[in-house]
Amino acid sequence: MPNFTDLTGLAGVAVAAAAAVSLLPGTAKLARSRLAVLQAAVFLLMVVPFGGMPAAAYLRGMTGDLSITTLVLLSCAMLSPRKGCAADRQRQVLLSLVAPAALVFYPMALGAEAYDPYRLGYGTVQFVAVLLLLALAAWLRGYAMIVLCIALAALGWASGWYESGNLWDYLIDPFVAIYALAAIMNTFIRTLLKAGRGG
Amino acid sequence: MNVSAGDQKYPHRLLLALVVVAFGAAFYKVAHRPGPASFQVRAYHASGAEAQRSGNTRPEFRTDFVSTQQNISTHAASLVELGDGRIRAFWFAGSREGAPDVVIRTAVFDPAKNTWSPERSIVNRIDTEHALLRYVKKIGNPVAQLAPDGKLWLYYVTVSLGGWAGSSITAVASTDDGTTWGKPRRLITSPFINISTLIKGTPFMYGDGTMGLPVYHEFIGKFGELLRIGGNGNIIAKQRLSYGKSTLQPVVLITGPEHALVLMRRSGNSPKRVISTMTDDAGQHWSASRPTSLANPDAAISGVVLPDGKMLVVLNNIEDGRAALSLVVSADGGATWKTVYQLEDQRGQPTDPLHFGEISAELARATDPGIADPSAYAKSAQRNKCVAQHCDYEFSYPYLIRTHSGDFDLVYTWNRSFIKHVRFNRAWLDQRLENYAELH
Repeated sequence: MPNFTDLTGLAGVAVAAAAAVSLLPGTAKLARSRLAVLQAAVFLLMVVPFGGMPAAAYLRGMTGDLSITTLVLLSCAMLSPRKGCAADRQRQVLLSLVAPAALVFYPMALGAEAYDPYRLGYGTVQFVAVLLLLALAAWLRGYAMIVLCIALAALGWASGWYESGNLWDYLIDPFVAIYALAAIMNTFIRTLLKAGRGG
Repeated sequence: MNVSAGDQKYPHRLLLALVVVAFGAAFYKVAHRPGPASFQVRAYHASGAEAQRSGNTRPEFRTDFVSTQQNISTHAASLVELGDGRIRAFWFAGSREGAPDVVIRTAVFDPAKNTWSPERSIVNRIDTEHALLRYVKKIGNPVAQLAPDGKLWLYYVTVSLGGWAGSSITAVASTDDGTTWGKPRRLITSPFINISTLIKGTPFMYGDGTMGLPVYHEFIGKFGELLRIGGNGNIIAKQRLSYGKSTLQPVVLITGPEHALVLMRRSGNSPKRVISTMTDDAGQHWSASRPTSLANPDAAISGVVLPDGKMLVVLNNIEDGRAALSLVVSADGGATWKTVYQLEDQRGQPTDPLHFGEISAELARATDPGIADPSAYAKSAQRNKCVAQHCDYEFSYPYLIRTHSGDFDLVYTWNRSFIKHVRFNRAWLDQRLENYAELH
């Protein structure tokens, strides 16, 4: 009998695989209902064991468990594949929070400095308080997507949703970090080009 | 409140309720997290009492082999004393290090009979990946610790992606001293897809019953860390021992409830010295790491603290190769070290396969005179340590423990082919220490 945390981890990876279906050539022409059926089929194929292990387990061996932020972004993409479920502004703000955090966090956590910010994630009151303030600020600004990411991460960590006992693993992962950095860079370049054209 | 028209579809009150519930739960978890704890200093620290308990004041020093499989690559042994005084050894073995067929093997030493049980496999790659529900490419380094509740925890390295730098730690527990094992579980110790954390050093206990597990990273950086693990097997804290790209495999030598010295393998070039760091507040803070006077050829270390505070360490106290293994002692908290006994030394010996084989056969016979066919041991050593016409002697990866009886048990890799066991008592050690009166 699989552990609960294995099921949640596998489900997260399967959600990512299902969301990736909308990137396949030709899926843009599919009706939304047909795309949903296709994504559901991929999700099931990923979690059903073949030869003792589901396909998601192989992927999970490489990726680890996906953060809540990644899952929120992927779920958005699946729920509204054409436009996304949150306003562009919200997504941009979320990614502009993730990108600099990742730029500082990962090098330090991987040993570039004596201080390890990852240890904060095992449950320091200051770290949780900062996240609460961030969530409240996002709520006041009406950034529902950011509120969802932070609050669900905190809830997931507190309830032991994943194997990890570290709050950072619920907040970000390398995949959303890379995506955020690429998106921010893309926006920056577009802005520069636009300004150039305008000039 | 600044809510744009496009965002008004979101149920703001529900979102606020979610924040309240989530952070209520998070703060509850933070409040129930165990606070800092002192190191547990082992209670059996009086050498006279030890000698009485063991009933043995005659110097004793004996050697034998723990593993028996021939023509196989064998490495990274560790020991744990069981509740009844027996000692269980763990190591990994397979066609070669990192091969898919590598398994964790175990055997039990009975001090009353001076015999090892037949060895057996307890963990393999396939069972591990099925239990973890993750692809596992290879397994490695096992270390174990007996928890206060009698549960025996075995931690071992698993790799899903890349080489050893892609390692994670898997834990499995036994409630019958290692006869049967529960379901493996993954420890999440790194934010970068949980790579790379490895183990080698001896676990230890904190005063509150939580466990300390020395670990190290070797991905972009190479540095030591300390995990603190609760009774349920969950990680509750983590502390960095060093940073940068040059330290591996920390060994924690606890000298008091608040004091410990950590020795680390030096990876990289000059200085080829064991690196140390220390704490005076039970691991809340660690000093800047610095080289010791002990040489280190990028090889593992092991050690224990004696009742009188002396530190006893086993290591390759040389700058190149692993052909010599020394037992060294420090009476001044690690500032200076003296060699107590040369466990192995084959420096300067011929390295061609023929002579290597002859010498290896002699060493095997010297280790255990009861061996029926020493040449088989030599052939295994040639298989693992000879390339073309050159062979390397290797005595490495020591793991030293001090048992409740006061005796010492040491295991190490013998030419990557077998696990050698050395057992000595305090009387033998005292006899050796007498030669170094200046240490007292």
